Amino acid sequence: MVSHRDRGAQRIAAVDEAAAALGLKRGMGIADARAMHPRIEVMEAEPEADRRLLEALADWCDRYTPLVAMDGEDGLFLDITGCTHLFGGEKAMLSEVLTRFFHQGFDARAGLASTPGAAWAAARHGGAAIVDPGGEADRLTPLPLAALRLDADVQAGLASVGLRTVGAIIGAPRAPLARRFGAGLLMRLDQALGRVDEAISPRRPVAPLSAERHLAEPIGTMEDVELLVGLLAGTLKADLERRGEGARSLELGLFRVDGAVARVPISTARPLRDPALMRRLFHERLGVLAARLDAGFGYDLVRLSILAAERLEPRQTDLDSRTDMLEDDLAGLADRVAARLGGGALLAPVIQGSHVPERAAALVPWTPGPALAATPGLPEQERPIRLFRRPEPVSAAAEVPDGPPISFRWRRALYRVARAEGPERIAPEWWHEPSDTAERDYFRVEDETGRRYWLFREGHYGDPGLPPRWFVQGMFA
Amino acid sequence: MAQRALAQDALLALRRTIAGIEGRLPETLSQADGGTVLMRRHGRAEGTGEHFATGAAALDAVLGGGLPAAGMTEIHGAETRDGGAVAGFALALASMVLARRPGPLLWVATGDVFREVGHPYAPGLAGPYAIAPERLVLADVPRLADALWVGEEAARLEALAAVLIEVGGSPARLDLTATRRLHRRAMLAGRPVLLLRQAGSPEPTAAPARIAVAPAPAAPRHTLAGPLARSIGPPGFLVAVDKSPTARTGRFTLEWNRHDRRFADRSCPAIPAADSRAVVPLSADGEGAAPTPFQRMAFPAGDGTAAAGGQPSRPRRAAHRRR
Repeated sequence: MVSHRDRGAQRIAAVDEAAAALGLKRGMGIADARAMHPRIEVMEAEPEADRRLLEALADWCDRYTPLVAMDGEDGLFLDITGCTHLFGGEKAMLSEVLTRFFHQGFDARAGLASTPGAAWAAARHGGAAIVDPGGEADRLTPLPLAALRLDADVQAGLASVGLRTVGAIIGAPRAPLARRFGAGLLMRLDQALGRVDEAISPRRPVAPLSAERHLAEPIGTMEDVELLVGLLAGTLKADLERRGEGARSLELGLFRVDGAVARVPISTARPLRDPALMRRLFHERLGVLAARLDAGFGYDLVRLSILAAERLEPRQTDLDSRTDMLEDDLAGLADRVAARLGGGALLAPVIQGSHVPERAAALVPWTPGPALAATPGLPEQERPIRLFRRPEPVSAAAEVPDGPPISFRWRRALYRVARAEGPERIAPEWWHEPSDTAERDYFRVEDETGRRYWLFREGHYGDPGLPPRWFVQGMFA
Repeated sequence: MAQRALAQDALLALRRTIAGIEGRLPETLSQADGGTVLMRRHGRAEGTGEHFATGAAALDAVLGGGLPAAGMTEIHGAETRDGGAVAGFALALASMVLARRPGPLLWVATGDVFREVGHPYAPGLAGPYAIAPERLVLADVPRLADALWVGEEAARLEALAAVLIEVGGSPARLDLTATRRLHRRAMLAGRPVLLLRQAGSPEPTAAPARIAVAPAPAAPRHTLAGPLARSIGPPGFLVAVDKSPTARTGRFTLEWNRHDRRFADRSCPAIPAADSRAVVPLSADGEGAAPTPFQRMAFPAGDGTAAAGGQPSRPRRAAHRRR
């Protein structure tokens, strides 16, 4: 038995069969229940865990249809339009779903109808599970009004005027009902009867193209999975060619026998159609994920979906097709690195319009392609070839008030400055930084061995307050 | 005559097959007429390929013509704090390659190397090395294994002008086999690959050339009125070649000329006293040493001498690295 807090008291949220046999019902106070049956076992409800479980089930239901929607806390909608023939008809499909749920330890009820409303009523209010098309009105007539998914106050209002079943309002005049109980009531009725279309909101977008393989014997090794990816990619290639497109974003769905679903997404730098290349990308990705992907008892369904596709013009190759090949090479490298190490592994520097050294060059994810126009605004002064992300503090002895350092200690080693150039003053950018940021005086220094560093002093000697601080920010060649 | 040539041809083919079976590479094939001996490896003649002349005649002579255009070259520095000079030397070589080849330069390193030695800074590369920001691609990867993987993937691409792989220390993973893989891929693609070992001791390598780089004092800036006192001009490098295709070694003091994009031999060093020291430990006493971990600090922690404020002598630092 599970309890939750409702209207200031612990109440029963759900009961198992044994508790139901004792006459306990949902909504009853825990104190009352304990008084009746002192030996009952009560557990606190965990709505978050329930939610996660339902989402895992929804993931699992992806094997039947891509259109799976959540319904409240304890239900799922599956839009199986056009999917039933894959499972041997509606009846066979329904019994397969229910059998599989039963074997996983769930007590599931199902309803199947032409409208979501009728299916909902059939699932939650008993009777035959399958509602024939056109038979919605007959099926709903004897059911209580709760079967129409109505708000509690509308239901109470209807009950107070003696309307307790769906049949009572199907035949009733519509205008007075709408005036008294709002348009919501008639909308729900029309939805259930199929007079108005109702769309369910699927959890994930439907992939424009996907190919899948159901396996009688589950597979567990990554080699087998990769082999299947190659086969599925081969199937998709024909579709892509017909549409004149190439895949930009792919997802591999691995459905484990026990219901867990793993999804492996991959995106590419250019439209891709070649099955061998797709397989290679997934090879890299799966190689990295191998430690985290637990095949358990194996996968019995493997699905390759193309989430995003882009126009891929058939290219005429020149006699000298070198340029194309070189571009393909770079894009392929970018894809493989992204598949294995993530999108941020390859970086390109971009010059920014800033005087502050650490802001002057940003690193952005690299995409192969024609180089952008030459970047303006490179500083004319000497800049180091290597820069520390954060300037590293050093203790330095320097000429007062604004001379170069004479010696400094950096990373526990002492450096005596043989020569120095500077200062170059860089003022803080007041539009970015707090107003009390100190200005920096930069020096190029060379120590006695010939190592060249870029140091700066923050603040001035003789200013009130803290003495100035010295930092190493970069190294010259 | 024709019969003799045919027999010679058959003999050569047989020899090649036998060499292939025995895995005895490179095979030595003597040509029939001239008697010249050509070293061949995987069908490509070695030591005869294209080179990028560095401009310093003595260095070019030792390297057999310059930086090999196809294959790997190893460059290492003794300490992390020399990282600027080591990277500067490698970038100078890369700059010469970029001037003649299309495509970007890929710089691969693990994140901790970038943090320790500093990130490549595009505004600083554009001036002295003429490496435009759009021709530089960085690969910032989490582990050494990933860096080697990216390096191998990139080394065989012809679309890249050059690949620069930077590692810290002398990791066990980067052994003879790993370097051979890199070298072979680079050779087949006909692209130079530069392997930078920061704070690494000389290790066995499959690269035909291994160069140790240390900083040297810069020359003063030249003005119309003559050298400007106490100014920092073109950077200097102490370069020691301890393995080369010509089997010769040598030590040079070079200076990078940014205008001509070439090195110059510095016949009279700016500060001669600095040049008289030993630059790198001889490879002889590095032999048999265990792979050293990447020295995190430019200076080892807990060193009494450092705390006292003095610089330890060079042999002492070498002892630290081997520990």
